[in-house]
Amino acid sequence: MADRGRALVRLVALVAAVAVLPLFVRPVVAAEIWIFAIAAMALNLIFGYTGMLSFGQATFFGIGAYAGALMMIHWQAPLLLALAGGAVLGALTAAVLGYLCIQRLGIYFIMLTFGFNQMFFFIAYKWTDLTGGEDGLPGVPRPPLALGPLHLPLNTATRYYLFVAVVFLLLFYAMKRIVDSPLGLICRSIRENPNRAAAIGYDVKLYKWIAFTIAGAFTGLAGVLYAMMYGIVPLEAISWITSGDIVFMVLIGGLGNLYGPLLGAAGLKWLSEAVSVVWQRWPLILGVALVLVVLYLRGGLVEALARLREALARRRLRPRVREESA
Amino acid sequence: MSVSLLSWAVLNGLVTGVIYALTGVGLSIILGLLNIPNFAHGALYALGAYFLYAAAQAALGFWGGLIAAALGVALLGMAIEYLGLRRLYGVHPDYALLLTFGLSLILTEATIFVWGPTGFTFQPPLMLAGGVNLGVMVYPKYRLMIMLATGLLVLGCWLFVERTKYGAIIRAGIEDRDMASALGINIRRVFTLGFAAGAALAGIGGALMLPVRGIAPTMGVEIMPVAFVVVVLGGLGSLPGAIVAGLLVGVFQSLMTALWAPGADASVFALMTLGILLRPQGLLGQR
Amino acid sequence: MSGDGLLRTEGLTCDFGGLRAVDSMTLSVEPRTVHALIGPNAAGKTTLFNLISGEIPPTAGRVYFDGRDVTGLPSHRIPHVGIARCFQRNNLFPKLTVRENVWLAAFARSRPGALRFLRRVTEFPRLAAEADAIIAEVGLEAKRGDRAETLSHGQQRALEVAVALAGRPALLLLDEPTQGLAPEATRRMTELLQRLAGRYTILLIEHKMHVVMSISDRISVMHFGQLIAEGTPDEIRRSELVQKAYLGARR
Repeated sequence: MADRGRALVRLVALVAAVAVLPLFVRPVVAAEIWIFAIAAMALNLIFGYTGMLSFGQATFFGIGAYAGALMMIHWQAPLLLALAGGAVLGALTAAVLGYLCIQRLGIYFIMLTFGFNQMFFFIAYKWTDLTGGEDGLPGVPRPPLALGPLHLPLNTATRYYLFVAVVFLLLFYAMKRIVDSPLGLICRSIRENPNRAAAIGYDVKLYKWIAFTIAGAFTGLAGVLYAMMYGIVPLEAISWITSGDIVFMVLIGGLGNLYGPLLGAAGLKWLSEAVSVVWQRWPLILGVALVLVVLYLRGGLVEALARLREALARRRLRPRVREESA
Repeated sequence: MSVSLLSWAVLNGLVTGVIYALTGVGLSIILGLLNIPNFAHGALYALGAYFLYAAAQAALGFWGGLIAAALGVALLGMAIEYLGLRRLYGVHPDYALLLTFGLSLILTEATIFVWGPTGFTFQPPLMLAGGVNLGVMVYPKYRLMIMLATGLLVLGCWLFVERTKYGAIIRAGIEDRDMASALGINIRRVFTLGFAAGAALAGIGGALMLPVRGIAPTMGVEIMPVAFVVVVLGGLGSLPGAIVAGLLVGVFQSLMTALWAPGADASVFALMTLGILLRPQGLLGQR
Repeated sequence: MSGDGLLRTEGLTCDFGGLRAVDSMTLSVEPRTVHALIGPNAAGKTTLFNLISGEIPPTAGRVYFDGRDVTGLPSHRIPHVGIARCFQRNNLFPKLTVRENVWLAAFARSRPGALRFLRRVTEFPRLAAEADAIIAEVGLEAKRGDRAETLSHGQQRALEVAVALAGRPALLLLDEPTQGLAPEATRRMTELLQRLAGRYTILLIEHKMHVVMSISDRISVMHFGQLIAEGTPDEIRRSELVQKAYLGARR
């Protein structure tokens, strides 16, 4: 029961954090944090929980962004339909690519996701009629939120932030339900011991594929949100750099933990905002951070916070120990 | 398409192909031996070029610079393995991969920091300047040299691995690490040297390409995915496979560039996809 | 050789390159009996299990279960046929709790409609009760909420059996359940096996002779991948052929 209490506290803290974030950073930056948090959560599902390291999540992010943008530009698709379109296309792409990549051994999987990401990058780069190539796809509108009697224009940064925040919270809840469901436990068992998971009756490839496809849906939806943020789909959205960013967020935030990707997204975005003004070579710091995390703090920020909490708790309980041992 | 255009494309393809093969062999050694997809391979490739550039500037000349580049990257590779990767051997291999990824960022940014973000061109050494009349056309001497030299180097690698005692040790380490260790082979030293060798091959590849394509910080990022395609197509841990696949990819890409330039880059990955579907274990892979 | 057993193998063979690990094994396990498989190390016993449970495809021969040809079924389909396996070396989910380990095996065999995936893992009272009963059966109630990696070796062996039981099998393939266990733990495992004997059909690989002799109804002896003897415990105990195989191997 204490578990339930703690989980509730964390959820409340999250909602509070979402609510107050725009007071600390510009609404645009804050929105970007939650958008990437969605993509990072998706990678966490397949990597942190299922053990598949995908180095090509930008494929789905970009495809979702382009899909949603094109739907809104050419077909005047309403907001929710465009979001759904991004999610569906992200899922479909993931389903096909997942089928090709999952057949292979772990090492191949990583290289294949990277390779396919590059393929789609080059397609987007060269197919300028569709994607605008290097210059990006401009003119992405931001339709109002029209749901039944509700009609809410999202033209200001603050309003858009609220919309993104709500979508994020809904998706976070969905991810939480997935993780708490039998699928989540099966995925974890696949990460722990795929051989035994099969031996007790689970079609491991099938479940990996399902997780991969779900992640594709989440990531594609995040892409649409990104497209609407600046009104343009930049080529970077589908580049390996974005894939790398998403990997960072999950790893530095904390693998296999529901809140890890959120910390990672916030940390990375803040870092890039704060440091890039001062030093153009700030990705070097990112590289150093990654190396340090991999060598010394594999649990990421989540682990760091947990260790901090433990250290403080120990201090509070036994202030005399130091005197005795001295 | 005219004969001369076709021959040009094929020859260019062989040049890039033989470099792809070299880079792929290096990646394959590391992959097979240490079980790590080396995400820093591209950065090491680029560094080879930059080391050559710096060495040549320091009046070491082209050939001296080439050796310096190879040694420099090899030493760097040894340091990476010894200080970083070695600590991660008991841990899930994904972490070693992520380490190399972090290193690639550090190396690339450091490169830009030292040499600036724009690229340079580089002239081939005087003895290799100019062209050779091949009948259908005149082809740059330097590129022919690459084909020859790298071809020999790649052949030498293959012979070393297949025919020498040390090569057998490497193959043993690739096939069954625990068994090799149990047989008394100092597997840790093999790993260090293996990574260094793989890195050196990448560095040499980059250095050799310097007069052909020039140098830019992005060249590392550009070769990375191709190197992966080569290894995937060639088959896990198979050096001959990487060689064949490298040549295949090089020629294919070159022909595609001549036939349909916009699709050339993406088509390399389409080739990879086809390879996976038709022959999942790679051209010469075992599993 | 009696008639159709619950599990029947015919000429089961497995070649690894030049090595014939299992050579034309023909075996029949009667329902509700304990059938032991013994033999010196590397006799091919675990490989035989791997052939039956789908980990490795056989080079030749067939496997029949309950009259049905299950040869070469992939390992994830075998539990659904009614065969559950426990492994020679602890093969659990280390960071999952004892309960989760067992629950997963039970869930795999329950009839999940897609809708079941919408519920939380904690919202399956009947499966939880089933898992708890099995955990109690093997004596691990105290460790229910602990991660499998925190268990002692003996407790992990018990968990291995529990996970196999949770698959609601008709046939249990137990690979050295007493491996590495001290005498006291061995005794408890033997008692557990005796309790299970009446309810399940058991094919058991074991090295500890006193365990084998005390609970088996029938014993098959393997050597170099081949069946060299088969009979009741008494017959096997008296067999010179068997003694030679063991003594020879021990040298």
